[in-house]
Amino acid sequence: SEVPRPLGVPLAKASLYQPRAGENSWTCLDGSRTIPFSHINDDYCDCADGSDEPGTAACPQGQFHCVNKGHQPVNIPSSQVQDGICDCCDGSDESETVGCPNTCLELGAAAAVQRRNAAELHKRGAERRQEMISRGKQMKAEREARRLELDQRRKEQELLRAEKEQLKQNAEALEAEAIEIFKEQQREVDADTAQAELEPQQMRQEASLTFVRYDTNKDGFVEVTELMVDMNLDRDRNGVVTVEEAKYFLDERERVDLDAFVTLAWPRIKSLQMLAEGLFQPPQPEEVTQQAEVTTEAIQPTPPKLSEEQAELAGDDDIEADEEGEEDQYDDEEPDVGVGEASPDVEDATPPNYDPETQRLIQQANEARNALEEVERSLREIQQEVNEIDEQNNKGYGLTEEWAVHDGQCYNFEDREYVYTLCPFDRASQKSRSGGPETTLGRWDKWSGEPKQYSQQKYTNGAACWNGPNRSAIINISCALEPKVTAVSEPNRCEYYFEFETPAACDSEAYQSESENLHDEL
Amino acid sequence: VDPGNFKTCEQSSFCRRSRKIQGSGSKYALIPGTLNTYADSLTADLVNKENHHQFAFKLEALEGSTFRLQIDEKQPLRPRYRVEHALKGPTQAGRIRVQRETDGEIVITSEKNKAVIHGDPFRIDFFENDVLVVSVNAKNWLYFEHLRQKAQEQTFHPPENENQQEQDAAVETPKAADTIDDPGAWEENFKSHHDSKPYGPEAVALDFSFPAAKVLFGIPEHADSFILKSTSGTDPYRLYNLDVFEYIVDSKMALYGSVPVIYGHGAQRTAGVYWQNAAETWVDIQTSETNVVSSLVNFVSGSQKTPPPAAHFMSESGIVDAFIMLGPKPMDAFKQYAALTGTHELPQLFALAYHQSRWNYNDERDVTSVSAKFDEYNIPMDTMWLDIEHTDGKRYFTWDKFKFPHPLAMIKNLTELGRHLVVIVDPHIKRDNNYFFHRDCTDRGYYVKTREGNDYEGWCWPGAASYPDFFNPVVREYYASQYALDKFQTVTADVMLWNDMNEPSVFNGPEITAPKDLIHFGNWEHRDVHNLYGHMHLMGSFAGLQQRDPNQRPFILTRAHFAGSQRYAAIWTGDNFADWSHLQHSVKMCLTEAVAGFSFCGADVGAFFGNPDTELLERWYQAGAFLPFFRAHAHIDTKRREPWLFPERTRQVIQNAVIKRYSYLPLWYTAFYELELTGEPVIRPLLAHYPLDKEAFGVDSQLLVQDRLLVRPVMQQGVSKVDVYFPAIDDKKNSDWWYDVDTYQRQERSGYVSVPVDDFKIPVWQRGGSIVPKKERQRRASTLMLHDPYTLIICLDRQGKAAGSLYLDDEKSYAYRQGQRIHVNYEFAHDQLVNSFVGKPKYKTLAWIERIVIAGLEKVPSSASITVNGVSQQLEVLQHDNTVVVRKPGVKMDVDFAIKLNFA
Repeated sequence: SEVPRPLGVPLAKASLYQPRAGENSWTCLDGSRTIPFSHINDDYCDCADGSDEPGTAACPQGQFHCVNKGHQPVNIPSSQVQDGICDCCDGSDESETVGCPNTCLELGAAAAVQRRNAAELHKRGAERRQEMISRGKQMKAEREARRLELDQRRKEQELLRAEKEQLKQNAEALEAEAIEIFKEQQREVDADTAQAELEPQQMRQEASLTFVRYDTNKDGFVEVTELMVDMNLDRDRNGVVTVEEAKYFLDERERVDLDAFVTLAWPRIKSLQMLAEGLFQPPQPEEVTQQAEVTTEAIQPTPPKLSEEQAELAGDDDIEADEEGEEDQYDDEEPDVGVGEASPDVEDATPPNYDPETQRLIQQANEARNALEEVERSLREIQQEVNEIDEQNNKGYGLTEEWAVHDGQCYNFEDREYVYTLCPFDRASQKSRSGGPETTLGRWDKWSGEPKQYSQQKYTNGAACWNGPNRSAIINISCALEPKVTAVSEPNRCEYYFEFETPAACDSEAYQSESENLHDEL
Repeated sequence: VDPGNFKTCEQSSFCRRSRKIQGSGSKYALIPGTLNTYADSLTADLVNKENHHQFAFKLEALEGSTFRLQIDEKQPLRPRYRVEHALKGPTQAGRIRVQRETDGEIVITSEKNKAVIHGDPFRIDFFENDVLVVSVNAKNWLYFEHLRQKAQEQTFHPPENENQQEQDAAVETPKAADTIDDPGAWEENFKSHHDSKPYGPEAVALDFSFPAAKVLFGIPEHADSFILKSTSGTDPYRLYNLDVFEYIVDSKMALYGSVPVIYGHGAQRTAGVYWQNAAETWVDIQTSETNVVSSLVNFVSGSQKTPPPAAHFMSESGIVDAFIMLGPKPMDAFKQYAALTGTHELPQLFALAYHQSRWNYNDERDVTSVSAKFDEYNIPMDTMWLDIEHTDGKRYFTWDKFKFPHPLAMIKNLTELGRHLVVIVDPHIKRDNNYFFHRDCTDRGYYVKTREGNDYEGWCWPGAASYPDFFNPVVREYYASQYALDKFQTVTADVMLWNDMNEPSVFNGPEITAPKDLIHFGNWEHRDVHNLYGHMHLMGSFAGLQQRDPNQRPFILTRAHFAGSQRYAAIWTGDNFADWSHLQHSVKMCLTEAVAGFSFCGADVGAFFGNPDTELLERWYQAGAFLPFFRAHAHIDTKRREPWLFPERTRQVIQNAVIKRYSYLPLWYTAFYELELTGEPVIRPLLAHYPLDKEAFGVDSQLLVQDRLLVRPVMQQGVSKVDVYFPAIDDKKNSDWWYDVDTYQRQERSGYVSVPVDDFKIPVWQRGGSIVPKKERQRRASTLMLHDPYTLIICLDRQGKAAGSLYLDDEKSYAYRQGQRIHVNYEFAHDQLVNSFVGKPKYKTLAWIERIVIAGLEKVPSSASITVNGVSQQLEVLQHDNTVVVRKPGVKMDVDFAIKLNFA
């Protein structure tokens, strides 16, 4: 390999540094000029591409090749040649007067040891990873089996629901007729009835208006997704109305028609809406006006765009209130503002004293309703489980499901001030060691490694920083025998970096081929 | 910032009182028969004809066309403060000759200058070569509040004042007309703060007219235009060192530094006045240009004559101590001021290179990895900075043991790459009994005291803090000794210093600074010395670094400054904000600072507050690369902005700008040596070299580097061209030739030229007739360029000539003062370049001349020959763009040579 060539030229380019036959001249590698061969490495930059000075610092854009026999060869910028600092382990970048020691053999040996250790680690880690893969695959199989089972059960329950629905309608028809007759009789007797009926009517009207507002696609149903844009319904104040949250208001259904909305959804929504209107009054008069405008518009049938704006508006307010760990305080307050207490208020009208026959029909209708309700609840439960399974499938537990076992686990790291927690596929958080609430640094977002996707995770949309963005966390993943968070830092304000080690990242084969590639390149 | 946190003139009792005189005028006269003349000066008694109070007047001639005028009370109740340590040393006496002495008029001459002193009303006219350039008290706005007893004598007096009172009885009792009924005369409130003012009113004020001037400039520090604006209808310019964050631009509000020097400039004459007073000072400016009212009056009255530009200095206490500098050219006036207050000494080269700072680099690993990233991206960088978070709880001289457990190893990581570290040391001292510095200061009584004699306690970064009284030489000595390496063991002699918050900043004090009735060494009130506090802090710091390593030139960056602080520190323009107007003001402000002695000036690149977008950041780097102090810095709440965190193109633009800066380091270094040698500012406004061109007076978006480069950074958003003003050398619109330093395209005419710019373009021209030394090899730090070869850029003038100088030495030690230096002039004429050394070139260098670039030749030479010691050798000549390049002369920097171009 001792091919004679100018200083700083890699072996692969040695043939390019020959004088032109018969002449003592040489052409710059970019072809820009022909110069005397003696001008190569004469400490003056003649070529625009710097190719005439591979071994000096004369050309600003040049590269110097360190052979580094016994270790890895590298290219350094020519700005580091002859600057008095030993950059190449063989000392070839400096003149002899600087006296750079040749440390390549030691470094090479140390690197070899390091490579061996790393290979060993990957090998042993890969065995554990294999266990994780089996477990992950097993979990996936279980999920899929369960999913099929659920689909089957759903079909059964849907048939059952149709049947119960029919029964309910029949029973309700009878009930309605009986009640109508009963009411006819009572109407003259009870003078207060009119008054009493006003309220439900008013409520129905309010509910209808709200229904129209939510039903942005105008299909006569309010769906989960249509509710999810109303930030007033963000009960846990995390800035998002989740499917679960929305469903709560629809009595755990996917969608409701107007009637169901009036009877089931509105009582739950109304109290929150009233609360929201009360909650967002001053401090800032500007916001009040905006809020008022939106509310006025909301009474008329609202185009979809406006309700999105409203959602954003409410969302913004939320984030401002979210400063530091305060969101958790809101969590504690939740029972006070929850719907549970509000619902009984609107259903407290005492039922009239029906005659026995009417009562029997009502009783039957109630039973039919309950039976239907039971089927529907079962369907909801099925759907919920299906959703969970789908969500897990979508998280991406790696190419071979090796990450699945980490979902549901949490790992702590303590430094001088904080305890950091990483719950893979869920969230990253921080808690002061001296107590106080937990601050969310981010919620599971995605795999974000480049170019190796599964080498990094990203958690976003954590608690907002004062005067700054929402917190976020990047998880750098490396191979080790035990899963562990080894370091947490905040190099940018409100951007956290976790170092996470796990056997899931150990891959003996990939490591081998990578280090071989690296070797080949050099 | 909320301007409401700071006083207006109307809210400041003495400003209100002094300014009121502008309505009525005052009546001061010399007392006949009291005149005494000496070889260099004359004295006389001066009287206020309304209250008959008497004053001692002295006029001295100094060497170099400068006069010094002093007025103090003849018999003050207590001594009045005289500024110390602002002048670089004792003044050099000149000689006077009394030419004529008649009733009420004395005419003296000193060399080609003349002063005419009028007795009644008191007034002095200064003539340079028979042209009236400065008139003192021409408006009769002299106002001198003599010390007095408070009217209600029954108020309690501490016992030690009894003696004083007995003496007082001997003094003439004040006349009835001599009362000051301003409610703020004896105590004053601002917001929740009370100023006890035990000594009552003691303001001094005086007006200076500049009859030969068109414009006034000077009195930094203000975020305003280079040319001072009329204060008619606005507050005066204020000089009071204050900690102002996100300061307002185009404002006369006070900032961190106060340099009470002002210049009047007209096409024929430039003159200056240095008002040496360290108390709060307001300056009213009268100029014809922007004063709508007066021009309207003149229009109505048909009078063409507007009153000459004038300045009215109003200070809260002290004496009248004014230096009149008679020019006659702008550079003469700047040098006269430098002769009084000194210059920054030649800095180590690294200090002129690129600095990388942030509040804060989080820990050791952060510092080391940022340094490594600069190498990874091949961007030169010399110095990393650590802000307050590196300390253990803001206890200066200590380190956070968790984030920075191994400071020496971290420093070594930097210095092994040729880099430096700068750490912050602020003057506020944490009140913590476990902190040695606080214990020492408490035990030894080193802190500034309250009126009651207790240690003053304010609030700053560490929480409760006290402030060492740097006016006490013993305190300065103690402070300096703390930097000794056996004391401050966690740094090395390569670690330099950043003195911030030294106005002083006191978060809970009046106007965010110290109360005026605090007591300093010598029993002076803080009121008397406020603007000098930072200066005295710097004296301690500078002495500390010099004692630590007597053979290494200290580098200190300061925020607060006063006249003379330039001898100790560089300055930056403080807590600016990431918008285009703050970028523009960084040039305006540094130009004003430069003519007021502070050539070593810069602004936080990218701005302290806010997050600049990529375009603003790029342009800021480009502008910063052509200001003397070049540091990127950012607030702790901003996003990280190291260059590699931006898209590749932005990174390249930044890399480009930084590399360009490094290539011009030989010019910057030479300019700083010549500043030390001559007092000529390193960066200069156009009028410094183009005094005849009236249109150039107000151009403050451009600067000259010495007289060799003209720089017009791009400082507007989204532009594809900028208007550049090329100044005229005479009143016939003739111009120098200017060569674009990238393309060598030539501008030959004066006036505005629209120049296209892309992202990478920094519009810079080299003057035809100049030679600029450069180093065009890239290194990771400037210290590693020591032995690298030089390139000389020769731009020819209309006569085919050019000249320029180069200075070099070891770039670090004081050996240059023992002659270990090379100062060489290059001259090109008649197709030949020769050098001539100033003194013997005694510094031993390995550096040599790599190439010579000549722009402006009419014909292309076929070759060149170099002659050294009588031996000649042929050199290759290449044509490149619009230039001719002489390849590799190879001659060492300390050798005489001649290079002749040969034409076939």
